[in-house]
Amino acid sequence: MNDKMKIFNTYHPLGLFIYFASAIVITMFMINPVMLTIAIISGIAFVLTLTDIRTFLKNLAYEIPFFILIALTNPLFSHNGVTPLFFLNGNAVTLEAVLYGLDMGIMILGVIYWCKCYSIIVDSEKFIYLFGKAIPKLSLVLSMALKFVPVFKRQYRKISDAQKCFGYYATDSYFDKIRNALRVFSCLITWSLESSIDTSVAMKAKGYGLKGRTHFHNFRFHIRDLFLIAVTLFMDIVVFTGIGTDIIDFRFYPKITQINLNAESIAVYGAFIILMFMPAFLEIKEKIKWKYYVERI
Amino acid sequence: MKKDLLIIGFIVLLIAVLINGTNIQSVDEYYLTHADDIQEDSETVFLTIRCDTVLDNIEDLDKGVAELNNIGDGIILDRVEYVLRKGDTVFDILDRATRYNKIQMEYQGSKENSYGTVYIKGINYLYEFSCGELSGWMYMVNGEFPRYGCSRYELKDGDEIVWVYTCNLGKDVGGYMAGDENE
Amino acid sequence: MEILRGENLSFKYAGGQGNAISDVSFRINEGELIVVMGESGCGKTTLLKLIKKEMIPAGEKIGSIYYKQTKIEDMDERTAVADIGFVMQKVEAQIVTDKVYHELAFVLESLSYKTEEIRIKVGEMASYFGIQGLFRKKTDELSGGEKQLLNLASVMVTSPKILILDEPTSQLDPIAASDFIATLKKLNKELGLTIILVEHRLEEVFSIADRIMVMEKGRIVSFDTPSNTGKFLSGHKMLAGAPKAVVLYKEMKGIGGECPVNVKEGREYILKNFDNKIRSVKEYDIKAEASNGTGDIEENAIELKNVWFRYHKEEKDILRGINLTVKRGEVFTLLGGNGTGKSTTLSIISGLRKHYRGKVFINGRKIKDFKRNELYRENLSLLPQDPITVFVKSDVYSDYADILKAHEIKNNIEERINEVAEMLGISKLLHKHPYDLSGGEQQKCAIGKILLIMPKIILLDEPTKGIDGCGKEELINIVKLLKDKGITVVIVTHDVEFAADVSDSCGLLFDGEILAKASPKEFFARNNFYTTAVNRMTRDIYENVITLKELVWIIKENMKNQKIKI
Repeated sequence: MNDKMKIFNTYHPLGLFIYFASAIVITMFMINPVMLTIAIISGIAFVLTLTDIRTFLKNLAYEIPFFILIALTNPLFSHNGVTPLFFLNGNAVTLEAVLYGLDMGIMILGVIYWCKCYSIIVDSEKFIYLFGKAIPKLSLVLSMALKFVPVFKRQYRKISDAQKCFGYYATDSYFDKIRNALRVFSCLITWSLESSIDTSVAMKAKGYGLKGRTHFHNFRFHIRDLFLIAVTLFMDIVVFTGIGTDIIDFRFYPKITQINLNAESIAVYGAFIILMFMPAFLEIKEKIKWKYYVERI
Repeated sequence: MKKDLLIIGFIVLLIAVLINGTNIQSVDEYYLTHADDIQEDSETVFLTIRCDTVLDNIEDLDKGVAELNNIGDGIILDRVEYVLRKGDTVFDILDRATRYNKIQMEYQGSKENSYGTVYIKGINYLYEFSCGELSGWMYMVNGEFPRYGCSRYELKDGDEIVWVYTCNLGKDVGGYMAGDENE
Repeated sequence: MEILRGENLSFKYAGGQGNAISDVSFRINEGELIVVMGESGCGKTTLLKLIKKEMIPAGEKIGSIYYKQTKIEDMDERTAVADIGFVMQKVEAQIVTDKVYHELAFVLESLSYKTEEIRIKVGEMASYFGIQGLFRKKTDELSGGEKQLLNLASVMVTSPKILILDEPTSQLDPIAASDFIATLKKLNKELGLTIILVEHRLEEVFSIADRIMVMEKGRIVSFDTPSNTGKFLSGHKMLAGAPKAVVLYKEMKGIGGECPVNVKEGREYILKNFDNKIRSVKEYDIKAEASNGTGDIEENAIELKNVWFRYHKEEKDILRGINLTVKRGEVFTLLGGNGTGKSTTLSIISGLRKHYRGKVFINGRKIKDFKRNELYRENLSLLPQDPITVFVKSDVYSDYADILKAHEIKNNIEERINEVAEMLGISKLLHKHPYDLSGGEQQKCAIGKILLIMPKIILLDEPTKGIDGCGKEELINIVKLLKDKGITVVIVTHDVEFAADVSDSCGLLFDGEILAKASPKEFFARNNFYTTAVNRMTRDIYENVITLKELVWIIKENMKNQKIKI
């Protein structure tokens, strides 16, 4: 995905998993617009440290219409709220519903950004490590599948090219295209069965099936991983306390709640800010450190 | 791929709007409904809207609704007499009465659900599920709970309609019917 | 010290007819590098499998193989996995996992090593093989050579005592293959590892072997030093694929005693035994040209004018202004290193990829003017690198019938198929499943499929990959046959010897351009490294000798000359 070295990438998978699970789950169940604003801004900040601004803007071209779509859909189907703007077929289109739509749009975009970061940071290797311990067979199957997918794709292309050169694509009709795709696919199945026999022989030759198979991995647990987990869990506790005790409770229907900034809610918002901006902060800190380091050299 | 999905999303939205029709009214137009004056020979019905069950279950009431403080003594619309127009259903009377009294009401049109009848989602910001998972609106005509939708029930002279809010699938208002949530 | 011993070993596959191995006995000492050679189907792969406990095929076995006095089948499971390593022919299929480090660790995981122990062993192995840079890569991102090196390293992590390799380089390009063989040599010399290698790239392995085992019809017919094996072979029909020096020795009827086995010895052999008064092969060329006679055709079958190509908008150009003309009936070979764009050029000519600048003409017509399938109807056809991708049916005959149907040829189907089959000598293969054929047979059947649709141009992408010496000679004959039929043939290959044997002209693709298209003679004569073994053998002795036939001719001319003097 991204070959550039990222500090967050170097953390232990367990810490990363806990971190991302917290960030994504909290965002997903949040309605409070302050919290969601924090989530989306931190998500964007994180995405920007991981990818370049061009891809970000390019994706924005899809994400903004998507956002508008969600924001528009809600008031069409939900008519609750004390401030009707106008009536559509006898049902009210309310200010509350419009704002709730926007809020949900922000939530979904936030989740998308965070999932994007997750997929960049927690690659298949880390994923396999996480679940390999619990289910060793599954992790091997996953690893084999991941190896097989690109090979499969390449072979599909090869067969399809070979068939094309034999003039099998007689016409431009869709029926023909589908028929040819099926033809290629059936070849592909035969081929993959054939090659999987070789793979299984190779596995057997390498002792697969002997008792007591271990699971090798490439990760080490450092103090900073412990630190990451501790900070994450602590912030989680604060945020969940906030959720549990109505401190950051927020409602759109029938009337929008006033946002109160009292000491407790500020504490919860603060904890969430620390939690969500941690990766972006670490990346930027690293960048500054390196700049300074390079200058000293 | 992403682009296609977006386009499909917008098309679905557009179709949804088109199916619903596009009768747009301003707020004032909507509430500008006049109830016919009652004459000697007019046929009439009586309508009451009640939610007193909520008072017994106030701890379950949705906080947002509670904040509005609009439950009062549990009577949303005290027994009023309305002129019955020809072919009026229970829904027609409710629609007219809520508009006339500027009471908020949301319904699901008969095309939008599988029952083929209008479904009342909420009256006076009190919605289904607003007071516990088993809560919602039901109606009675002459003390009975009809087994079918309010837009199918044609009224006759002198009918007594009561809309009641149940917090327990109708058990608390005496209209429990297994497998029938509402109306 | 003896490490492996076979005693009166016979083997018959379950359901097979006749013995795959019959009454074989041999002894292999520790630290020996053994090369096993023989035609396909001679039982060499079966023999190798019988040495690796986990791979012993189902069948009837008489006699035994002993590893350090223990019968193979009685070996402890873990010892069998750890002590005997096996590398197979198929590069891609024997990689199990998606990451290089995981692949290296696989066998150690099986043997219940702990993460820390594995880390040490794997680290050592990666460093020894020089693949530490690939450690965290996906196996899919490696080149073919790197993949096979990974397969080797992932077997070596258990420090096996015997390493068995079944045609490990047949899917690699020559440079990667040489590197691979050099690594094997290093393992043998530095670690004293016993290696048993089946290989058809004999030019390279012949001289590094301690002993060579020659197999024929399930028996060992010779098991001796390279030089003696050369001598043995020169009196034997199985010579295809043997080093050119050995073939020369045979052609010279064994003059001069010791048999030379590589280029260096071949050179010494010529200098010692033969005169070089006559240095030029011009006369021979004139004779050859008279028989060739395609010189004056002016019609262009393929014309590329300033063609540019890249795969993605933001990538660098693969082809940077290629110019090429191939005349009708010409056999043109495009040579070049890995990743120079040889196959890409073919895919442009075959219309599979679209160039973004320049012009391509096929049979005098702009390629862009061909409607979708018109190009592939009687105009041109491509034989891809992997011939198995050509087949869609479960036997060759119905596949042939299918292609005829697709091309709306309805009459004389059987006759057409039989005609082609006879021409290529594949009548016996018609009712086999394509996957049951050997590499060479697949190649021939795929060419048969092309011939059925009678294209004017045939493109061959690396046709010698995975084919043994015999197959290669048959392929040379097939290309000549195509040429006789007036078909234009464009070949992309790494195989210098093959190019020298079949082409009318050669070109070198370098840095996105075709450098100097010329006749093979001119082409190879001016190269010092990128040239045939015969040319390297005779450099500065004779002028412009490229093929063995020329060499034999010139030596005989010199001998005649000598006799006349005497």
